[in-house]
Amino acid sequence: MNTAMISNLLRSTINRCLRTQNVIKMVSSTTIRRDVHTTTPANDLMEFFDNKKNWGETNIRVGRAWKLDELRIKSNTDLHKLWYVLLKERNMLYTMEHECNDKMRLFPNPERIDKVQESMNNIETVIRERNVAYYQLETGETGERPVEDVVNLFGLREKYQKQEYYIPRFMNTRWVRPYLENGFITSAAVKKFYRLYKEKEYNVERKARNKDFRHVQHLLKRFPNMSMETLKAEYPDVDIEKAKRSRKARGHFMPKY
Amino acid sequence: MRIYGFLAKKVGDLTIKYSNFPESYVKRSYEQVYWKNPSNYPQYPKAQIARKHYRFTTNRPWTSQFRMQNDRNMHRKKVFVEPVGEWSFFKGDRVEIMVGKDKGKQGLVTQVIQERNWVIVEGLNTHLRVVGKDKKFPGITIQSEAPLLVTTDVKLVDPETLKPTEFEWRYTEEGDKVRVSLASSRIIPIPKAAEETIDFKSKELYIENVDKDTTSDAAVKITFAPKLRTFEMDIMEEMGIKEDREPAKSFWY
Repeated sequence: MNTAMISNLLRSTINRCLRTQNVIKMVSSTTIRRDVHTTTPANDLMEFFDNKKNWGETNIRVGRAWKLDELRIKSNTDLHKLWYVLLKERNMLYTMEHECNDKMRLFPNPERIDKVQESMNNIETVIRERNVAYYQLETGETGERPVEDVVNLFGLREKYQKQEYYIPRFMNTRWVRPYLENGFITSAAVKKFYRLYKEKEYNVERKARNKDFRHVQHLLKRFPNMSMETLKAEYPDVDIEKAKRSRKARGHFMPKY
Repeated sequence: MRIYGFLAKKVGDLTIKYSNFPESYVKRSYEQVYWKNPSNYPQYPKAQIARKHYRFTTNRPWTSQFRMQNDRNMHRKKVFVEPVGEWSFFKGDRVEIMVGKDKGKQGLVTQVIQERNWVIVEGLNTHLRVVGKDKKFPGITIQSEAPLLVTTDVKLVDPETLKPTEFEWRYTEEGDKVRVSLASSRIIPIPKAAEETIDFKSKELYIENVDKDTTSDAAVKITFAPKLRTFEMDIMEEMGIKEDREPAKSFWY
């Protein structure tokens, strides 16, 4: 009886935690507790939410994302700290977005998420650059995960990302090569698949080419005084002389010849 | 392969610059993706069902009006836009109108809509619009500017002769790219107003958000000192983490 009661209580608490409507209530209870225990610097769940004064705002204007060149002049420690500032900000933005959707409110300035994400991507790029420079200098290799150009089991070219194993390949009997040896297609089924795949690919290309050609024909019809250099630069694959000769490219007038 | 041709860049550079948004945000704000296969699963091809053609108008791509005009069931005739190569009309430019009832008048460009080769000139080429008409209320008549095509309808004004002129992009001796008027060979400078975005008139006039923004002093401070260490080694040393264990030999295949 007692254990059943305890498990029931546990379940109800977990349910309460999971329900988003109750998050604020839970949070407020923790805040009160924090006020009592002032000795510990408690970082409570409210860190997932924005500052309270921003809650009713319709426009929270912020600056732009960190650029690569600005991050390149920062030390590793700074980047490490900045990463966690951005991570917390992103968590906060996701929480606020979710909460706004939940409460049928408009989430102000959703582009902030993109700005934070762009900054985080840039930090990763800069760190990778630094690490690659170190490994290039010390070992002559990039230190990145090795990648190999292979032909996969469907006969298609792909980049195979190698994995790390603790025994060499000849000892590893459980490892099955997920690509064709030396890139040679030997099976008739794969050959047939590859042929059909190529055909499909060719059709997509052909359709795009014809679409461009038709588009150029219409452009020539509508803008006969257009600069041909810009047209050629925009559609380098289209034979413009051929398009000019076609009937579709002629405007609504009687031909002079 | 050009399967994802419809995802190619459609929104103009100047539009993105004016919006002051990250490009990814502009893209996701106007795109209508109805279905997308989960990414990073080998069994799913990289496919999605999305709207392919959008009608760009004077409404900016991230606005709700744009979304309304490109409603799911709304399909409008294709608009053919003349390729212009390099874009040469900027906000704040003085232009002369070559067509319509305001032909021969000069004005300043207030908006640039690159997707359609349009500019909007302040107070010119207007029509009257009745707004808020009701059974009881006759509505308010307002003047609104119609867009003008940069290819035929407007011409840049020469700063010396104050007459419409053809122009060319050239390089100065310092290596700057400038527009040069062919009538008087004078440089037509790009106006300061071209820097204007939704958030600020110019970059210097941007007011920092005290709670969220990094101050410019902190951003430009150089703290990087080159050391022969990886990022991880540096952080470990900073945090006092000692690692003496040798990693076991491993094989990559």
